[in-house]
Amino acid sequence: MTVEQDFVSLDQFPVGMRVLAVDDDQTCLRILETLLHRCQYHVTTTNQAQKALELLRENKNKFDLVISDVDMPDMDGFKLLELVGLEMDLPVIMLSAHSDPKYVMKGVTHGACDYLLKPVRIEELKNIWQHVVRSRFDKNRGSNNGDKRDGSGNEGAANSDQNSGRANRKRKDQYNEDEDEERDDNDDPSTQKKPRVVWTVELHKKFVAAVNQLGFEKAMPKKILDLMNVEKLTRENVASHLQKFRLYLKRISGNQQTIMANSDLHFLQMSSSLGGLDGYHHRPIPGQFHGGATAMRPFPPNGILGRLNTPSGIGVRNLSSTSSGMFLQNQTDLAKFHHVSSLPLNHNDGGNILQGMPMPLEFDQLQSNNNIRNMNNNNNKNTIAYPSFSTQQSSLIGAPNNNLLVLEGHPQASPPGFQGHQINKRLEHWPNAVSSSPAQNSNSIIHHQFDVSPIPHSKPDSLEWSNGPTSSYSIPFCDSAAPLSPALDTNTQAFCRNTEFNSNANVQTGGVYYDSLQMRQYGPSTDAMLLSSNPKEGFIVGHQKLQSGFLGAEAGSLDDIVNSTMKQVNRAKEIYLEENWDMEALAHSGHAYDWERRFRHKSKPSL
Amino acid sequence: MDALVAQLQMQFRDYTISLYQQGFLDDQFTELKKLQDDASPDFVAEVLSLFFEDCVKLIGNMARALDQKGTVDFNQVGASVHQLKGSSSSVGAKRVKGLCVSFKEFCEAKNYEGCVRCLQQVDIEYKTLQTKLQDMFNLEKQIIEAGGRVPQVDIN
Repeated sequence: MTVEQDFVSLDQFPVGMRVLAVDDDQTCLRILETLLHRCQYHVTTTNQAQKALELLRENKNKFDLVISDVDMPDMDGFKLLELVGLEMDLPVIMLSAHSDPKYVMKGVTHGACDYLLKPVRIEELKNIWQHVVRSRFDKNRGSNNGDKRDGSGNEGAANSDQNSGRANRKRKDQYNEDEDEERDDNDDPSTQKKPRVVWTVELHKKFVAAVNQLGFEKAMPKKILDLMNVEKLTRENVASHLQKFRLYLKRISGNQQTIMANSDLHFLQMSSSLGGLDGYHHRPIPGQFHGGATAMRPFPPNGILGRLNTPSGIGVRNLSSTSSGMFLQNQTDLAKFHHVSSLPLNHNDGGNILQGMPMPLEFDQLQSNNNIRNMNNNNNKNTIAYPSFSTQQSSLIGAPNNNLLVLEGHPQASPPGFQGHQINKRLEHWPNAVSSSPAQNSNSIIHHQFDVSPIPHSKPDSLEWSNGPTSSYSIPFCDSAAPLSPALDTNTQAFCRNTEFNSNANVQTGGVYYDSLQMRQYGPSTDAMLLSSNPKEGFIVGHQKLQSGFLGAEAGSLDDIVNSTMKQVNRAKEIYLEENWDMEALAHSGHAYDWERRFRHKSKPSL
Repeated sequence: MDALVAQLQMQFRDYTISLYQQGFLDDQFTELKKLQDDASPDFVAEVLSLFFEDCVKLIGNMARALDQKGTVDFNQVGASVHQLKGSSSSVGAKRVKGLCVSFKEFCEAKNYEGCVRCLQQVDIEYKTLQTKLQDMFNLEKQIIEAGGRVPQVDIN
C-alpha cells in the first residue's frame, strides 16, 4: 500500500483533520472557524499566539495543521511559525491581508507550507489537507531512506507510519534515535552495525573546521564528511552531529537574544543567558524578521532547518538589553568564563546579522581571567561565552546582574571578525566547553544551561569561556544558533533537558526554542529585534524557574566549583566527551529525567 | 399574509441588491451568507457584530495614536488600519476596505491630515454600513415573523 493509499484509507481523512487557527482578529477568526467547519475539519481557535503555543506544546499530537495570522500583537506570526516548525514540526499555513510578495517570501523562508490572503475563501481551505499529507509523506520518505529496517522504503514507512501524524513523528524520532544510538549505516541495508561514534574533541574540531570551511549555512553532511576525512565516519553520523550542533547554536542564540541587551553581539552563554533572564526581558523585536532572517536558511536538511537558518544568532545579540554589562558584573566569576565558540555568523548575511553579537570566543581553557577583562570591557558586547554543547550548562555563568550573564563578552576569543569563524572557534571548544568556570552567579550560569539540551552539563559551572582576547565584536551570536537545525530532533526534550539540568529548572521547552527563534529574527538590525516580542515566554519563565530551582540546588556547589575552576573544567571536559553525545541520544529518546540524573551526577562538586 | 410576505421579500431583495450596487457589500458577503445555514442561523449577524466591535476598537486605537500631536506613531496607526482592512475584507465590507487601502497609504506617507481625514471617513462609513445592515436584518426578521423564508438574493 502506498502512502497515499494509506492516507486515503485513513478513515475519512481529511474529514476530521485537526486544525489550530490563530488570529487576533475576532471577526476573521470566527469566519475562519466556520469555513473550516464547513470543510469538515476539527477546529480549535485562539486569538493569542501564546495560547496557541501552549496548546501545541501540551500535546504535540493534538493537531495536524496550524493556520496562523501574520500580524498579531503578542507575537509575530512568523515567529510562531518558526517555533511550531521547530518544536512540533507541524505544517503551518500563514494567513494575512498583506499581499506583498515579500511577506509571502518571508513565510516561505520561515517554513510556512502555504500562504493565504485574506479574505480567505472556502475553496482554498478545502485543499489545505494536502499539506498534512505532504508533510507526512516527506517524513516517511525521509525515514525510509535512512531506515533499513524494513527495507521496503515507502511501504515500510507507510506501514509503520500510520495515518496519524503521531506515527510520523514517532518514526522520525525513532529514526533519529536509531541513527544516533546505533549509528547504523542506514543507507546501506547490508551493513553490519557500526560501532558507535564518539565525538571526541578532535573529531569535533575537525567537524567544526569543516563546517566553517564550507560555510555554516552551506554545510552539508556529505561535504563535511569529505572534508573531515575520517575513516569510519558515516554521513549519518555527521548529519546527526550537525543537527545537534545547529540546534545547540540555535538555542544558544535564542537565549542570547533575550539576554542581549543591545545590539552588540553578546555571546551569552546559554546558561548564563538563561540565568540572566530575569534581568532582562525580551525586547520586543521590532522588526520581526528582518532581512537577516530571510537570508539564512541555507539548507534545511529537514524542513525545519530551513526555518532555523535565519540568523538566529543575530537575535542573540540583542539580548542583552540595556545592561550589557549585565553579564559582567561579576567579574571574578566572569573571568572564569571563557567565551566559547563563536557562533557561526550568518555568512549569508554578511555576517551582519550577528552584529553586535559577541563572537563566541574560543573556548580555551576556561581559566582565563581574560574573561573578566573582556567582560568588563564589553559593555554591550558581552561576549557570550559560547558554551560548547556540553558546557551549556555551565555556561550559565551567572550574569552578575542578571544572572544571566555569562556570556558576557568575551569578545576575545573569537577570531576577530570572522563571523563565520566564530562558530569555528566555538565549535572547537565545544567539546571542551564542559569545563566552564562556575558562574558566579549561580543563577545565571545554571540557567543558561538549559538551553542546550544535549549538553551534558555536568557542572553548572563548567562553562568554557575562551580566554582569548575577545574583541568585542558584534557578531551576531544568533547566527550560529540560527542555523541549528531544529529538526535535529523534533523532540524538544532534548532542549529542555538541558535546562533541566537542574531538576528544578523548569525550562519550558518552548522557551528555549522560542528564544532561539527569536534570535533568528534578528535582521540587520542588531537590536533586540530578535527578542521575541513575547519575551516572557519560555525564556524568562524558564529562567525564573530555573533559577530558583537551580540555585537552590546548586548554590552550594557552585561556590565550590568556583573555587576549583580548573578541576571542574577538566572534569567537565571529560564528562562532556564521554557523555555528550550520549546525552543527545537520551535527549532524543526524551528521557528528560536521565538528563537530570546525569546532571546531578555530574554536578557533584567532587570533581 | 402571503402578500405581506411576498412584499417583504421583494423589499428585502431590492434592498440587498442596492447595497451591493452601492458598493457597501461585495462577494465576500455573499460567501458569508452561504455559510449560514440551519446549524448556524445567525452566523452572518454574529460575524457582523464582531466586525463592528472590531471597528470601534480599531478606530479608537487609531484615534488615540493620531492624537499624540507631534509624536504620532504611524506604524501603530498603520497596524490598526491593516487589521481593519483584513477584517473588512473578510466580511465583505467593501467601502470600508477601500478606505483602508488609501488610509494605509497615508500612514505610510506619514501624512497626518490625510490620516485624520481617512479616519473620519472610516468612522462614518462603518456606521453607515452598520445602519444599513441593521435595516436588512430587520427586514429578514419581519419576513420570518410573517411566516416567510428569507430569499436567496442573487447578485447579478
